[in-house]
Amino acid sequence: MSLDAQTLDPQQLKTWLLAAGNKDAKAFRQLYNATSSKLFGFALRILHKQELAEEALQEGFVAIWNNAATYQSHLAAPMTWMATIVRNKAFDVLRRSDDTVEIDAEQFDSEVMNALRDPQATPIESLQMSGDAKALAFCMSALEGLHRQVVALAYYHDLSHSEVAQQMSLPIGTVKTWIRRSLERLRTCLAKREAP
Amino acid sequence: MNIRGNDALRQKLASEYVLGTLKGGARRRFEGWLYNDADLRNITAEWRQRLEPMAEFTTPVTPPKRVWKQIEQRLHLSPQGGWSLWRDSLSFWRSLGLASSAIAALLVIVMSTQLMSTPQISHVATLMDEKSQTAMLLTADSRHDTLEVRMVGNAPVPTDKELELWAVPKSGNPRSLGLLADKGSVKLALSSRAIGNDVALLAVTLEPRGGSPDPNGPTGPILYKGNWVRL
Repeated sequence: MSLDAQTLDPQQLKTWLLAAGNKDAKAFRQLYNATSSKLFGFALRILHKQELAEEALQEGFVAIWNNAATYQSHLAAPMTWMATIVRNKAFDVLRRSDDTVEIDAEQFDSEVMNALRDPQATPIESLQMSGDAKALAFCMSALEGLHRQVVALAYYHDLSHSEVAQQMSLPIGTVKTWIRRSLERLRTCLAKREAP
Repeated sequence: MNIRGNDALRQKLASEYVLGTLKGGARRRFEGWLYNDADLRNITAEWRQRLEPMAEFTTPVTPPKRVWKQIEQRLHLSPQGGWSLWRDSLSFWRSLGLASSAIAALLVIVMSTQLMSTPQISHVATLMDEKSQTAMLLTADSRHDTLEVRMVGNAPVPTDKELELWAVPKSGNPRSLGLLADKGSVKLALSSRAIGNDVALLAVTLEPRGGSPDPNGPTGPILYKGNWVRL
């Protein structure tokens, strides 16, 4: 665990990512070793099927290698940048396959949010998150449960307002309002945590 | 619509763009604005930095070793003896966007195979896509009776489909030479079915998994085609 926590250190990841941008295959391998289980867990969470998640991870790392030279460290943390790529690849894979993914907002909430609500039960550390993710987890845990679900559902399943409304059996106006308010609250909360 | 100066709206659109709820025409419009508006790009990057760490809210799962193997193979990351020159040439060639040059392909093959010395390359072919970009390189090794097919481009194949290689004779049904991977390279057995004098065309079609269900020929569209050059 401590090793993983250490390897997700943004400075170290950044060094490897920049080196990969200069076609340093060894650094790229280290970057893969440090982040692939985190990103694979993420792809599995979106796609549910092992085979599809493997495809998304592979496509993701090929794109990471091919685009590493364009990575701008002042715009995004390395994990953020890589997660964006893997998420997009996962949605591409999903669109290409005929599978429909079973959506389970409830499970998302119980798996992760319980840990955030009750850090004693599952310490946040055991999820091996970066500082950015811990801050976001803290701020999301301060949202109302249903609001949090709506935001997570949209993020993990690439849903529109109306699709979220359908999934949650809520009026679309309610979903729009909840998402807008939740995003504003997250912004305020994160800004406070950043302030010294 | 002009969104410059309307900070609340800019924040809202950027956040929903990152979250993914901004869809369709609104999303495309937003991407158009991003192109010309550096401040909007910064706002969007900030939102990405805020929301994208949600990716880390999942339990880590170690991926199987084959995933790295495939990445390594696709990106030609592990040099192996005489092949390294070939791999380097290939990636260099790719990075220059010279994929359309069949002549470069032939040169690379001839140079690298001479270095390898053992195989006896009797035929080479470059298969092109509809835009006349090289998609595959075929080399027939008559000493080992192998036919190597190497993907050049990066054209993903849907998980329920496979690529199938055909030799189309001057008359009669196309002959299946085997199924291909959508990346890396594949070695197939070489026979006169592949390099016979009557072969008029080589073609790759998109077929259901396991290959064309029709014993008389392909069922899917032709993706790439080309012909042999005898050396």
